[in-house]
Amino acid sequence: MFIKEKLMEKFLFIIREDLNVLKDYTEEARQRGMVEMSRWVETLAESWSYVGGEPLAITGRYVNKEEVVSDGPFIEAKEGVSGYIVIEAENLDAAASFAQTCPLVLRGTMAIEVRPMLGPCPV
Amino acid sequence: MDTIQQEVDLLYKSHFGKMVSTLLYFSRDIDLDSAEDLVQDAFSAALTAWRKDGLPSNPAGWIFTVCKNKALNKIKEGKRFKNLFQEETTPARDPATPPSDPAMRPSAFDDYQLRLLFACAHPHLSPKVQVVITLKYVVNLKVEAIAKILAMTVDGIDKLLIRARQKIKEEKILFEEANTEALKPRLPVVHKIIYLIFNEGYKTSWGKELIREELCEEALLLDRALLNSKIGNQETAALYALMLFNAARFKARFGPSGDLLDLEEQDRGLWDPELIRLACHYLEQSRGGPASSYHYEAAIAYLHCTAESFAQTQWAAISRLYHQLLQLHPNPFVELNYAIALYYAGHKVPAFETLDNLLKHPFLSQYYLLNAALGKLHFLEGNGETAKKYWEKTLCQTNSPLEQDFIHKMIRRLK
Repeated sequence: MFIKEKLMEKFLFIIREDLNVLKDYTEEARQRGMVEMSRWVETLAESWSYVGGEPLAITGRYVNKEEVVSDGPFIEAKEGVSGYIVIEAENLDAAASFAQTCPLVLRGTMAIEVRPMLGPCPV
Repeated sequence: MDTIQQEVDLLYKSHFGKMVSTLLYFSRDIDLDSAEDLVQDAFSAALTAWRKDGLPSNPAGWIFTVCKNKALNKIKEGKRFKNLFQEETTPARDPATPPSDPAMRPSAFDDYQLRLLFACAHPHLSPKVQVVITLKYVVNLKVEAIAKILAMTVDGIDKLLIRARQKIKEEKILFEEANTEALKPRLPVVHKIIYLIFNEGYKTSWGKELIREELCEEALLLDRALLNSKIGNQETAALYALMLFNAARFKARFGPSGDLLDLEEQDRGLWDPELIRLACHYLEQSRGGPASSYHYEAAIAYLHCTAESFAQTQWAAISRLYHQLLQLHPNPFVELNYAIALYYAGHKVPAFETLDNLLKHPFLSQYYLLNAALGKLHFLEGNGETAKKYWEKTLCQTNSPLEQDFIHKMIRRLK
């Protein structure tokens, strides 16, 4: 018989960094950044809060009714989206508190936008 | 160092935190920093007075009376004060008389420390931040020590504390007579805090530093206080068992020159049989209710601690326990341990499949333990070149000199 804690909500961390800076990273610098994030993700997992996440490439496509624009970054590069993480937390404040502990956020080179994931609509 | 100094030091170590918590409970108008200062001053006063007059019959009570008197004086500097202090009209109570106040009996202190611990388990804070604030106000570590333990900057810890302190200050738990029922919903959160504190103390990256062992001891003491109170439950017991099993192996984890030893290399004769026996007792006590993650981890630790040798370990049973734990709480970092257990249980194909899947995960691919494990298992399979590749990757993924030395040691074995 399992004991499942009361239903936790899921939250999306939209990771925002200066994409112009990231663009110029050496392979070594990129790896160091990933090692640091990996350590932080481990602390999320340690409290059984980590669901998933990935870094994103710097460039891609922007699609709307009018056009498909290539290259980029498109929206303000200083806080461009560089990755995402999904966690489980009790509530939005707790989720934001998680985000606050990221070493890159504390250093000032990263911001995290925390958005509750809505889940299925009630029947 | 004279005996009075020693007495005061011992008392400080065991009672400082509890006295701070008690002061906070007695008066709403004292903030956390002031409470710490007051208790600090009282200890200094004790040292001076006792050197002159000798040790009193109830040293803790003596110090606490002085604390309360100082607090009262501080409060009288223009603030309103609450019930119990209103009874004291004369600040200069003779500290030598044994206290009639039942709140100054030793066991009462534990209650207030637990109360503060539950206050730190605030639902608007993440577990990591709850740990930081607990380390500061319940374990009474300095910010520099907390930063070192968590591998963060002092600035970072300060930032986390500022926001968290605001939340805790407003907590009714600290000031009101909270009943057990009101506290129960926070118990799982409190368990997590204790578990995470123990984990920090158990990490090997910094080596044999004393503070690590002290952290583990603190976690054990907090859990034991929970068990002794009316609030603890079977999960509390499972957590206690888990921590005891791990604590039993403390002395074996480092070699004579302080080098890191993995499970296979450890001298099992150095494992503490008393702690293992005690852990088994609590594991028994934890049965009968629903299984929590602590139950699974304790059961796995039990199988390790009771195995005659690395080779004779019941790896199949351990892998089954990990499998069930992962059903309850999916976690790629625990999946790594599952894969390792599968390998030693003889299920090599699923073991390597799991590990290769983990490598595809961008965060896990940079995880030093995953690469170290792949190195070891490929080494055991006779794939020297592959093993070396993974070990060299591992070297880039850890800053700990101890861990790096360990990997270098493994690489040397290839020759």
